[in-house]
Amino acid sequence: MAADNLPTEFDVVILGTGLAESVIAAACSRVGQRVLHIDRRNYYAGNWASFTFNGLLAWIQEYKEQQKATDSDEGWREKLEEGEEPLLLNSVDTSISNLQVFCYASEEPEEEEEEVATPVTIPTLQNPAPPTEEGDTQEHQVEGERAQEEQTTPTEGDTAQTGEPALPNPEVKKRRITYAKILKEGRRFNIDLVSKLLYSQGSLVNLLIKSNVSRYAEFKNISRILTYRNGKVEQVPCSRADVFGSKQLTVVEKRMLMKFLTFCLDYEQHPEEYLDFTERSFWEFLQTKKLTENLQHFVLHSIAMVTPGTHTGEGLRATQHFLRCLGRYGNTPFLFPLYGMGEIPQCFCRMCAVFGGIYCLRHSVQCLVLDKESGRCKAVIDTCGQRISCSHFVVEEGYIREEQRRGVAYRQISRAVLITDRSLLPSETEQQISLLIELCSSSMTCMPGTYLVHLTCPSSGTAQEDLAPVVSRLFTEPTSAEEQGEVGSEKPTLLWVLYFNMRDSSGVDKSSYSLPSNVYLCTGPDPALGSEHAITLAETVFQQLLPDEEFCPPAPNPEDIVYDGEVPQGEGAGFGEPVQPEINEEEQITESEQDNEGSQTDVAAQIPTPAPPTEE
Amino acid sequence: MDSRYDIQRRGGGGGINVSGGSVGGSPALTGAQSRRRKIPPRPADYKLQIIIIGSRGVGKTSLMERFTDDTFCEACKSTVGVDFKIKTVELRGKKIRLQIWDTAGQERFNSITSAYYRSAKGIVLVYDITKQETFDDLPKWMKMIDKYASEDAELLVVGNKLDCETDRIITRQQGERFASRISGMRFCEASAKDNFNVDEMFLKLVDDILSKMPLEVPNKALSNSILSLQPEPEVPPELPPPRMRCC
Repeated sequence: MAADNLPTEFDVVILGTGLAESVIAAACSRVGQRVLHIDRRNYYAGNWASFTFNGLLAWIQEYKEQQKATDSDEGWREKLEEGEEPLLLNSVDTSISNLQVFCYASEEPEEEEEEVATPVTIPTLQNPAPPTEEGDTQEHQVEGERAQEEQTTPTEGDTAQTGEPALPNPEVKKRRITYAKILKEGRRFNIDLVSKLLYSQGSLVNLLIKSNVSRYAEFKNISRILTYRNGKVEQVPCSRADVFGSKQLTVVEKRMLMKFLTFCLDYEQHPEEYLDFTERSFWEFLQTKKLTENLQHFVLHSIAMVTPGTHTGEGLRATQHFLRCLGRYGNTPFLFPLYGMGEIPQCFCRMCAVFGGIYCLRHSVQCLVLDKESGRCKAVIDTCGQRISCSHFVVEEGYIREEQRRGVAYRQISRAVLITDRSLLPSETEQQISLLIELCSSSMTCMPGTYLVHLTCPSSGTAQEDLAPVVSRLFTEPTSAEEQGEVGSEKPTLLWVLYFNMRDSSGVDKSSYSLPSNVYLCTGPDPALGSEHAITLAETVFQQLLPDEEFCPPAPNPEDIVYDGEVPQGEGAGFGEPVQPEINEEEQITESEQDNEGSQTDVAAQIPTPAPPTEE
Repeated sequence: MDSRYDIQRRGGGGGINVSGGSVGGSPALTGAQSRRRKIPPRPADYKLQIIIIGSRGVGKTSLMERFTDDTFCEACKSTVGVDFKIKTVELRGKKIRLQIWDTAGQERFNSITSAYYRSAKGIVLVYDITKQETFDDLPKWMKMIDKYASEDAELLVVGNKLDCETDRIITRQQGERFASRISGMRFCEASAKDNFNVDEMFLKLVDDILSKMPLEVPNKALSNSILSLQPEPEVPPELPPPRMRCC
């Protein structure tokens, strides 16, 4: 490839291509700033990335090998001038730890076999339509059962099965998916390091629409939310129709729930109802609202999705957010991007590039050049030894050295990635609270015939310590019985499991870092379900950087861009006076496939908490 | 100014825009769109995404603009502000709306996102017949395609700058040989500058894509339950690119 030299002057240099950094890049470029956006890795999105299966194996390898700091080539010192001093950056990433892989899939060589079109399984909690290739994306919620071990039998009659149980035809043995097969189909997987969903009225969706970055991605509806409780899987009633149609709620409960949810929708209008509880937990508040235990569970775990200890104000806000997100695109508040969350930072990077941003992977910054007098950063020296001047520098937290962090104590996020062979089914397990998202192949994140399950919780210990108990209760390892093709447990079988901890710098205060005033920090992924934190961060940084500019105004429709025939393109932002099309609110309602009940994806969610000790 | 909110709803064939845009009589459309949308177009039968990749300077943007706008700008060196362009064509009795994407310059330092390859139904891989290294780069682009593009995407490799025959380095046979090694890949040479073979190559690509698609299945069913957050802009193909004055 023809070698090309980087320009040596930019307005903004951004290091790291995670979500916040990418949004900032797009916002800056959009208003005419010259942006250089680089990442030391050879892939986009950093800790927000998604990988093919083989890509993930390479990622695991990279982190397992103890990374040594690259020998600092002191040549960069020559680039410093009088009155300048360097501020070194990290060259080794330490944000991932405790990686463990468990491979359960058979290591036999791949057989020549016919395609397994659809696993014939007992229907899960879905529409009676036969399980299609699309399958269902399920988001499950497993609630902390207070010290009760359920001992029901595997084939529970009380699990809500719809339609006839389709017992497998004895002659048709489901072919096991071997490890070799997973490797071969590896490119069909898109495994996110960060497991999140999009709230339909959340800041990320609204930003995607406002900025027109949404045109770079496609999305799937999440059509239902399920919850485990008392050994049963139930659908969480989200909408008015759900509530009134629910078979799990009594008539009285339906009225209660509707009344409470109606209150939550505009709770600020009735401060008298909750003011006494602002310092107390949402759990306590719910108990005073004349809701049955059933309803308290739904609201706390499935709608607000907060921990019992969360304060009332936060719980109400979260409930309201959920309710306001209903119905925008589908029955639940959530969307999921086709090909995974890792697409989203890339979409913002593209917007940045379209408006002139320069992109350089496999490229990092060795040090910042600070002006001794003002303390501000005036340039960076990259890993090729080149000096690049800039007015502002935005950097992802992982690149900052120890020396700049004053006594920062990080939290961690525990993560598990599972590849399983069938959808999660009701189980008799003792439940535990953690966040679980199950994706099927129609989300383009796993090969047909498999399901991709993501577990997340704030860490207490290693990811394996935190999440293995949940995994073992909901899933099963292959046994010899199953290898015969018998229908054993209803639990999905594990094919492959990865555990890892990811540093959670999202809560660290800016004041803990000693950085120049024109160096802006982007903390890493947070464990919440939505992306609110990263978007808010991006907007805050942008407003500090460019206080007089608009944040991500709509990009003009390509047809509306004027190319004045005489003026060569490539000048500045590349076009004359782009006129912003008016974005009409009505136009944002898309032709969503709400009528296609049978083809929607299901995802169920759980609540994030650390693995609790047995409660009394 | 007076025509700014002049929305006409014509009865009969395709009068109502299905995807986005206001169906009611409200002045919901933008000025430009409403001025253009006197006669609402028949909605496209198919919407296809085509991406163009290749090394820097081979003429990707030129090929695209020659096809969509019938323009060529020799002086325009770098691609800034060009996201994608729309062209509507009629093939096999169907109206096809093509969305042709440009790399936004991310190939310059080998940093094209994987997301770029995702929804492409057709991929145009371009090299410059007068520059050896652009041809040598082709395997690298193929690697990315294998990794990230849909298996069903139709491939076309194009040797551009045929107008510079005197400076040719890569022979036609070399190009053909490269394409023949990749199943289903078509080859051609073209010149964006002289407008040679450009329409033909895009139309042939689209034709190949169509030939693989089920005949009577409408567009929506193909993207089963896949959403876009916003409707795509609908622009009738008959009108020239709009010139907007900011007044």
